[in-house]
Amino acid sequence: MIRIDCPVCGLRNETEFAYGGDATVRRPAMDESEMGPWRDYVFIRDNPRGWHREYWHHVQGCRQWLVVERNTLTHEVGTCRLAREVAE
Amino acid sequence: MVEALSPLKTVCAPGRYGADGEAGIVLGTRAIRSLWQIAGWADFETAAADLLGVLGLNGLGDYRTARVAGAVTAWRIAPDKVLIEGCGDLTGYGSADLAVLDLSHARTLIDLGGPAARDLLTQIVTVDVRAATFKPGAFLQTGIHGVGVLIHCIGSDDFEIYVPSTWAESLWEVFCENALPHGLLVNGAG
Repeated sequence: MIRIDCPVCGLRNETEFAYGGDATVRRPAMDESEMGPWRDYVFIRDNPRGWHREYWHHVQGCRQWLVVERNTLTHEVGTCRLAREVAE
Repeated sequence: MVEALSPLKTVCAPGRYGADGEAGIVLGTRAIRSLWQIAGWADFETAAADLLGVLGLNGLGDYRTARVAGAVTAWRIAPDKVLIEGCGDLTGYGSADLAVLDLSHARTLIDLGGPAARDLLTQIVTVDVRAATFKPGAFLQTGIHGVGVLIHCIGSDDFEIYVPSTWAESLWEVFCENALPHGLLVNGAG
């Protein structure tokens, strides 16, 4: 079972959240004209074994987007921050 | 002004149900007194604090404790959102820094009480609601059967639960079915 320590609501069960994807992907610059970077951005994802940063949405709580560190091997959860703060 | 009709008006049937003996659970409902959400952006804290000050509330508060001033109750439900009940019409407070939204018809209130109220909550939510951790004045947002709700603890064994009106009847059934083994007393609309 995964439990996520939401910065707003506190420690909650995974069932309150929705997985939102890989939080390590960065969008290419808007003036990027090559197809490769855009293809990678949209379609290509790593499949890491170990710690990974992911977006999770606290859909049945504060409805905030979070960036959660999760170990894909053990499901251990590390830091959890508001996505807006990570982006700043 | 459109009259607010509770979606529970046909299902909230006063009476005594379930197990014999003292009723462990008391359920009821009451009309919500003007429920508004205020939200904003970078300057939200300043803009919201000004409005809350007008309503008699000092500051935005934290994410776990309800703020009360007279008939007004406020819950900070997110960094840039506050839910307010009993505040009257806030239309005039909308601005470029503050979005105001009338949710009075969008939420229905379920009153939950009785000596087994915390036991019932424990059955249907995944959050620690024991008396030592969920005290009077505290609130939490969670899900019941996949529906997002706000639970406000207003007494040692008394809770007000704000549920989306579209799901109120379904959640009412969830509460009633889980309350039957404890003995259920349903009060009329307050």
